[in-house]
Amino acid sequence: MNNLLIHIIRLIVFVLAQGLIFGQLEFGAGIHPMIYPLFILLLPFDISPILLMVMAFITGISVDFFMNTFGLHASAAVLVAYIRPELFRLFAPRDGYDVLKEPTAPEYGYKWFLSVAGIAITIHHAWFFLLEHFNWSDWFIILRKTVLSVIVTMFILLIIQILFFKKPKTI
Amino acid sequence: MRNLIAFFRRFRVFLIFVLLQLIALTSYFSVVSYPRTKFFNSANNVTGTLLSWEREVTKYLFLDRENRKLQAENAELSKKELINYIPVDPKTTIINDTIRELMIEKIPATVINSSYSHKNNYFTINAGRLKGVERKMGVVSSEGVVGIVYDVSEHYAVVQSILTSTINISAYVGESNAYGLIKYTENDPRRVTLTGVSNDIKIKKHSKVFTSGKGGYFPHGSVIGKVEKLNPIEGEPRWDIIVRLEQDMRRLHYVYVIKNFLKPELEELEKNVDQLE
Repeated sequence: MNNLLIHIIRLIVFVLAQGLIFGQLEFGAGIHPMIYPLFILLLPFDISPILLMVMAFITGISVDFFMNTFGLHASAAVLVAYIRPELFRLFAPRDGYDVLKEPTAPEYGYKWFLSVAGIAITIHHAWFFLLEHFNWSDWFIILRKTVLSVIVTMFILLIIQILFFKKPKTI
Repeated sequence: MRNLIAFFRRFRVFLIFVLLQLIALTSYFSVVSYPRTKFFNSANNVTGTLLSWEREVTKYLFLDRENRKLQAENAELSKKELINYIPVDPKTTIINDTIRELMIEKIPATVINSSYSHKNNYFTINAGRLKGVERKMGVVSSEGVVGIVYDVSEHYAVVQSILTSTINISAYVGESNAYGLIKYTENDPRRVTLTGVSNDIKIKKHSKVFTSGKGGYFPHGSVIGKVEKLNPIEGEPRWDIIVRLEQDMRRLHYVYVIKNFLKPELEELEKNVDQLE
């Protein structure tokens, strides 16, 4: 029960941070960092895939309410949730995941986090900007926006991991 | 039947994925054809209130620049005030002018949430139905045209910014009277494109671009921007005119919503003419 409360608080914090801070920052050059996919990646290992997608959908539409994007964030978030189980399987450590631990960088190493989050964020951003432009002749703008935004987002996610997720002390 | 249930059980994750995607994408792509969806936007009270709070905190950052702009606007307006004019002929009397009628009222509003880096940009203002804002009203700033109201709630409204690919504001170039439609194609928040101008019309650089007043969104002759570049379109006898906007959309904070008292009359009149649409 305690865990559920933590995730609900996290959902609110991530949506507010995206809507009120990171969505409002304008870096120029089409850079648009989106940090809320981290919330989807942080949900527990043993969550059912359907519940995972429903949570992602709720996160997405909450961000849509702030950003006037009418469902675009929801679509990209659901995609991240859909590929997450496969992605985790791909990068599973030799002795599997411990369902009691959280999928964070201090627990499983920064190399693991960078690969999993890097792929998830790249797919998320590419999907988002592809749907936003929905026009092949804009391919260069889509590519530029995706690459630059992924770099900025990953940087922010790393800082979040370092600042807010400490490795729990072992006894 | 059992096979069908087995099929659904097997592919349930994928089916739920498709279902959620359908909900999100239908909402996103039907935005262009307005009436079907207006769910996921910030004209609702919860996000509207939160965004207003955020603005309360950040508004001090640009007060100085906005004050200077308001001061300039006030100076411009005070030039037109009667009290500042000296009567040249002492024998004249004041004539109560009935030739002119009030056509436009401006509703002041503050931008509480905006974007300019997307392909289609919308911003939220803190004036809604209670202040008399309605759908499809024009929105201007003190410098130029900025958008058209897209959706309204009690206290807030979402405005389709001029940086939207489907905005299609009717406009003309000042000196040559060439009419066309304003579109956002450049992916540059300082520039829009004036399309549909025939290339046998001579157009000078730096001449001003105004709204034509078609549809009653804006009064005839509101400033949009200046002609910056002429691009010939291959295979068509037309120019694409790149217009530099007067209002920097990245620094948009205070706007006016235009209430046109004569718009119902105009719509009533033009309703029966098919060619105008």
